[in-house]
Formats: sequence, C-alpha cells, structure tokens
Amino acid sequence: MAEQDGGGSILQFARFNSSVDEGFWHRLSSLKLNKLGIDDSPIPITGFYAPCSHSHVSNHLTLLSESLPTDDNEQSSTQTTARGNRNRCSVPGTLYNTNTVEAYNGLDKKSLLKQEAKKIWDDIHSERAVEESALLSRFLLISFADLKKWSFHYWFAFPALVLAPPATLGELKPASQWFTLQEAESISAACNDWRNSSTTADVPFFLICIDSNSNATIRHLRDWEVCQSDGQKVLFGFYDPCHLPTTPGWPLRNFLALIYSKWSLERIHFFCYRENRGFADLGLSLVGEALITAPSEWRDHDSIPNAVGWELNNDGKPISRCISLAKSMDPTSLAISAA
Amino acid sequence: MVLTQKLHEAFKGTVERMTGPRTVSAFKEKGVLSVSEFILAGDNLVSKCPTWSWESGDPSKRKPYLPPEKQFLITRNVPCLRRAASVEEEYEAAGGEILLDNEDNDGWLATHGKPKENKGDEDDNVPSMEALDISSKTRIHSIPSYFGGDEEEDIPDMADFEDSDNLVETDSATLQSTYLVAHEPDDDNILRTRTYDVSITYDKYYQTPRVWLTGYDESRMLLQPELVLEDVSQDHARKTVTIEDHPHLHGKHASVHPCRHGAVMKKIIDVLMSRGVEPEVDK
Repeated sequence: MAEQDGGGSILQFARFNSSVDEGFWHRLSSLKLNKLGIDDSPIPITGFYAPCSHSHVSNHLTLLSESLPTDDNEQSSTQTTARGNRNRCSVPGTLYNTNTVEAYNGLDKKSLLKQEAKKIWDDIHSERAVEESALLSRFLLISFADLKKWSFHYWFAFPALVLAPPATLGELKPASQWFTLQEAESISAACNDWRNSSTTADVPFFLICIDSNSNATIRHLRDWEVCQSDGQKVLFGFYDPCHLPTTPGWPLRNFLALIYSKWSLERIHFFCYRENRGFADLGLSLVGEALITAPSEWRDHDSIPNAVGWELNNDGKPISRCISLAKSMDPTSLAISAA
Repeated sequence: MVLTQKLHEAFKGTVERMTGPRTVSAFKEKGVLSVSEFILAGDNLVSKCPTWSWESGDPSKRKPYLPPEKQFLITRNVPCLRRAASVEEEYEAAGGEILLDNEDNDGWLATHGKPKENKGDEDDNVPSMEALDISSKTRIHSIPSYFGGDEEEDIPDMADFEDSDNLVETDSATLQSTYLVAHEPDDDNILRTRTYDVSITYDKYYQTPRVWLTGYDESRMLLQPELVLEDVSQDHARKTVTIEDHPHLHGKHASVHPCRHGAVMKKIIDVLMSRGVEPEVDK
C-alpha cells in the first residue's frame, strides 16, 4: 500500500475481524445445556457482515444469537426474517465447540483451517460459489464454553486461499477517480438499487458492467459470459468491510481465486464497494487492478492451495480470545446486583 | 437506590401487562408515540438512513404488540470519534437545537450524541447518524478483569501454534497491522476507536422510544456497561443514562431513561407548532 503505484508491489489485504454479540454466547449456553449435551460435532452457524459504512471504522463479521440454531426446532421462522437484510449478509461458518479446555487447546488448528479452505476450494471448482457467492467468505470458529465460570474461549479463522506467487497490484485508487463522472453516477445508482432490493441486498459478490454509453448495470457472477459478448467493461465487485483508503478487504482474496480458477483471467479489475450512511460512496470505494501469475497447477482442483486466516488480537498476535459473562449469566452475581 | 429501581421495574411491568398499548395518537398533545407511530417513525428512519434496520431479536423476548420482524431498531458499529468540545461547537452552530435548552440540566439535549439518536427517530436530521457524537474524554481502557484475563495460562500451546502454523508471518499478501500503524500514524487513533451499537426500543410504559448503547473496545470486545458511562457527560451518567436489562438483547446495556422523553418531545412540538409547522411522527 505504501509502495509506489507503478505496479510490481504485492497486493495486500486487510484482515477480516470478528465481533460477537452477547446473545450468541447466551444461546450457545442454552443450546449446550438443553440440546447438545456432550455432543461436540461441528455446528453450522451463520455470520453476518455488511460493506464498510463509515470512513473511520471497518465492519466486522458479526455473530448474533440468530447465528446459532435454537434449542427447539422453530428455526425456519428466524431464517426467513434474516434474508434480504442489507445490514446482514449471511456468511456460512462452522463452529467446533469442545467439552473441555484440554480438547480446546488440543484442536489441530492447522488442519481445521485446511478443511474449511478445502470446502471453499471445492465450491470454487463445483461453481457453487458462482451461484452462492457468500460461500467464498466461509469462516471457522473454535470455542470452549466454560459454563461453570461463564467464560468463553474462542478463536475465529477466515480462511483465505494463498496465491503463490502473490498477486501484484497494477493500480489502486478511489472509484470516484477511476470512473468518469457519468459512469460514477450510473454505478452509484445501480449499486443503491442492488442494495435496496431484498433479492440482491445480501449478495456480496457481483459484476459491474459498463457499456459504451457509460451506463452501468450490476449482474450476478453467473452472467459473466453474457457481459463478455457485448464488449463491455467488466469489474468484479464485492462488499468490502474494510475502511482503509489504500487496502482492499479480506473477501477479495478468495474472490480472486474464484476469478482466476474459473475464467483464467490474469488481469482483474476489482471494485471494493463501500458505503457512507448506507449509500454507495465512490470516494471511499476503491478500484484496483490485480495481476495474477500463479502456476498453472493452481487451476487444478486436486492441488489445494495453502490457506491463512486465524484472527489476530489487537497486538497483532495469533492468540485465542476469552470473554467472561459471569456478570450477566451467573445467578449469584445476578442476585447480588438485584439485591 | 437499586432496590427502588427494582420496585419500579416490577411496578412498570405490572402496569405494562394490565394496560393495552397506546393506539390513539397523542403525539401533539403529550409528545408520546403510539405503537403504530413508533413503527411509522422507524420505517422512515430505516429508509432515510439504511444503516439502521429492524430486528426481531430473541423470540422469547418478543413483544406481542409489535410485529415480530419489527421489534426494535439497531445500527451497529458506530464509531465514537469526536471530542466533547467539537460536539458542543456543533450544537452552537446548529441554531435550531438551541431553543430546546435544558434549564434543569436533565433534558436530553445536553447528553452529547444520544439525544441526536433519540431525535433521529422522529426528526429530520436522521443522516447525522454517521458518527456517534459521544464525548469521550477518557481514552480507551483495557479491562483485564472483565475479559481475557486468563488467556495466557489457559492456552499453553500458543507458542507451539505460532511456530507450527505458518499463518501470518509468511504470508506477504496479508496486511500487517504494525505496518499500517508505522506508516499511517494518523490512523492510530482511529484504529483504537470505541464503537457502539445503538438500538431503539419502544417503551410501552412511557409510550416513547428508548435508546440503548452497547459499547465495544477497539478490538470489538464488549465493554462493561459501566465503561460506557465514561463516554457520557457526567451530568447524565446514572441519572438520565442508566444501566439496565435490554428488552430484546441479552445482558446489561446503557440506556437513556425515557421518563423525560415525552416532556421534551412536547417542547419541540410546541416550538414547531408555534412556527406554523404541523409536526408528524415520521418527520
């Protein structure tokens, strides 16, 4: 990012970060006590994210109580209300909740990450990721819920397939400087329509097609071929949770992997979509050119690329997090505060 | 004092159960909102400022008088950036708000930030939601007693993990955060910014919207509600702003107490009407 714009610098990505609502731990506790017992098989969970909506802070992958299944079986109703919410694009994840702290510490984190990365890789090759693009941002959560002390140990991973050699950055600038005024207006309008429609609001990866009259349309990834035949300019857009003016966010990594694997493109124009107050902001949004020169076996389904993505703490160290909710869960301390 | 609060909660709960929700508008007369006016105002907020959305919350905490998918309003990840001084200057500049002066010092205008949120529910300045103007005189505190205090002893294999997994260190495509701080010193403050989730619920007893704050530190770890009070002007902490159970979310959250909301809204409405403007709940 701080390097020259003249190309050749390695394209870097800002990490995705997690945010867990207290309600998530409450529901996990009740799930554990009332339904799961000592069953520690992986649980499918749903994370939520949205494009960056403020020039000073990045958005997070958020877990809420709705991220978990309920302990009774009325899940279908909550699922339907979650769809189409523009501030909550659903991302699939896997929770490994262990029964003991020893088991938690003993988890083979490297192979768990690899396992999730393989799911992403498989979805790229089966083209499921083209149809259901949120699969590209699949995540992993390991946890140990200490229900005696009401504390929760947890660690997120956002698996990203590593391009080797890494992609280089051709150029990167605010979208408002990249496009003509007319194009920018058309793109803003198209993006706002996309975000306001309940059928597309939570589709985080998309195509921007600009015709020779500077009219922009947004299309699903599956329409890539259609865009080609018309000789339009095509950009690969994604909801960027990152706010940094010179760095694209994490979801672009697996998106580039998909684009390279599926369409064999080596020169990719990407569009980091960001908002201000809930509306498209092309001053915050970025457009860049990624140059990929991965070896040809990278396109081979059988050779799974390396993956990275365990979340770091505030000091940049890969370390497990812990939250204590005794204050809101422990009956004794609740009784004291109520006295 | 806590006991009286509990007694009041119990009393309020009983009244809420026995009285039906308000269905007839008394917005102009008393400054209160009926349930349908709350929904109308909320819909308007969501459409004007799409970072807000309706949520259904925990099914077990659902209020029967509100639609299941419109239980409360929330906007997440609002940064707390600005200093008290600059906020005050802004209030001075925004002449219109000065009329609502708070002679007894417990009107909501003087609490930086949340009054704006509160007002945003019914007033026109919805877009000002972009940053939460809470006065943060105090910088970020770490709270080892509350979070992560024992992480080192509980995770003994961390060193092995760092060694055996070539995650971060060897991946040149991952932006290193130290790199970032080193090259953009101006961003350092920003990275350490607290963020807030702001939610608005309907308080059936007071028949007004009620604003709640959930604070997070710079690594998006939950702040103890007591620490949220540090971001609130000291005149209001524990008086207008109290820490209570959220009606839809788990845990204790800081909230602007709604007891004066109706009266203050009434003042605004009177001013508007004296100027010949017809107040409406979705404006």
